[in-house]
Amino acid sequence: MAIPQRMSGLHAPQQCISRRTLLKSSAAMTIAMGMAASATAEQPVPGVSSGPFLAGKVLDCHAHLTHHSRPTWEVDDRKLIDAADKLGIDQLCCSTLTPRWPATLDGFRECNQWTADGMRRFPGRVLGYCYVNPGYGREALEEIRRYTGDHGFIGIKLYNEYTCTEPVVFPIVELAIELGVPILHHASHSHYFVEDQPRMSDGGHLAELARRYPEAMLICAHISGGGDWEWTIKALRNASNVFLDTSGSVTDADTVDMAAAVVGVDRLVFGCDSSMTAGVGKIRGAALSAQDKQKILGENMVRLLGRRKA
Amino acid sequence: MIVDVNAYLGHFAFRRLRHNTADSLLALMDSKRIDKAVVSSASAITYRNAQAGNEEVVEETRAHRDRLIPLAVINPFYAGWQDDLKICHEDFGMVGLRLYPKWHNYSLSSPCCRELIAAATERRMALSIPIRVEDNRERSWLLNIPDIPLEEIVELVKAHPKASFLLQNGLGYTGCPLGRKDNGLPSNYAIELSRLSALLANEIGQLIANLGAERLMFGTGMPFNYPDPAMVKMEVLDASEADKEKIRWQNATQWLRL
Repeated sequence: MAIPQRMSGLHAPQQCISRRTLLKSSAAMTIAMGMAASATAEQPVPGVSSGPFLAGKVLDCHAHLTHHSRPTWEVDDRKLIDAADKLGIDQLCCSTLTPRWPATLDGFRECNQWTADGMRRFPGRVLGYCYVNPGYGREALEEIRRYTGDHGFIGIKLYNEYTCTEPVVFPIVELAIELGVPILHHASHSHYFVEDQPRMSDGGHLAELARRYPEAMLICAHISGGGDWEWTIKALRNASNVFLDTSGSVTDADTVDMAAAVVGVDRLVFGCDSSMTAGVGKIRGAALSAQDKQKILGENMVRLLGRRKA
Repeated sequence: MIVDVNAYLGHFAFRRLRHNTADSLLALMDSKRIDKAVVSSASAITYRNAQAGNEEVVEETRAHRDRLIPLAVINPFYAGWQDDLKICHEDFGMVGLRLYPKWHNYSLSSPCCRELIAAATERRMALSIPIRVEDNRERSWLLNIPDIPLEEIVELVKAHPKASFLLQNGLGYTGCPLGRKDNGLPSNYAIELSRLSALLANEIGQLIANLGAERLMFGTGMPFNYPDPAMVKMEVLDASEADKEKIRWQNATQWLRL
């Protein structure tokens, strides 16, 4: 993503918008429309006792820190946290991706180091996904063990190096099951061949992977990422262990509503993927109850992360 | 007050739209506290005879002209467009046009289009140009309609200095002359913000700095889009309240001579 150099808001004084005001106002609006509100403030999630996650928190399940080849990476990362502050997003589940694909071994290793560094720079705000290219086999598995173990990463990020139904991906999924961590998988479905991403996965591939591994926790990335989201939602209807990430730059009306109607709100997780106001606005605009929005905004992801094995 | 300069009524050929009648759109506007909306026919994007869509919009908005401001969709390559323009302006009271050069398969620099823009300008009608209708990656297997390249818009605004354009559903203006300070272009165009960023790259903030808040307008793209993302942009935008008021409604009322 190109970041223009002129950033007028960077050093501007903080606006008079309190943290969480925006997202909480969606609940307030729902209450004003006569729907019952849930108790959302800082309550433990029933059945989840491990980890630092609390209900009422807002988690962006799909975020990225900036690759350090970009000279402005440090400023850009700070902007991401500032944007989260303005929008009331408590925690961002981040990966750092290589600028070119397929990622090399050294390439994804340094990305994961930078994600770990981001967790240290923004303690409690940045949660890490371990990004690997499954083609590196044993080294990729070792990387995941190292970063989910020593560095406390919360999951695995897979991109477009392989379609998720290719056997080379299976050991990664089996390790994710062993560790009890989710895989956020890049995905999109267009009705034409996407030449620059020949091994792109889509909702159908993820549904097939989910049938093969019913214990896996899979997240289908950015249903608003530009492809035919109606196709994606329908393809995932019966894949009960696939969660749908609401992120992406497209703000088509009905996206979140249809996803909630077809797969259920318990399988939706809020995300932005750097499209910050689009991400928040779609949830605010969906015709769902305050309780359902709270599930999407954080509770579902908290529950998912709570399945991590010791 | 909030005026949404980017709204629609009717059907879109490739996806169901909710809130696409006057009554349901007004209910949505009420729930979001949007006072007025500038609407055109979504159906006319794919109707061969766009005037049929204009007639539908006029009928839908007849009882709500205080809040729904209809624009005409005109295809300058279709028979009788001059008659349609006259009817839309004089009989229907439409104060502007929306043009779809890519969907209607003509060039903005073609003689017919130039003639249409000159005729609309003569009537002091505003010209709204959606850079895209939907994200190209979600397109139907039936067609492949590209976004309008911003370079074509640069040539357009230069060719018609007396016209009054609104560019909507676009982004990336700061990467081309349209969004740069002292760009040498006539100040005959404004930019609608539904796809612009207010955080991170903050293209809206850059455009305010480069062109002035007078050149930006609030729009949502409803009912194609949720209106809320555009509203959230305004809430987090790092700008003075005076500038925000210009963007929310003042510029739109000037552009449309309301």
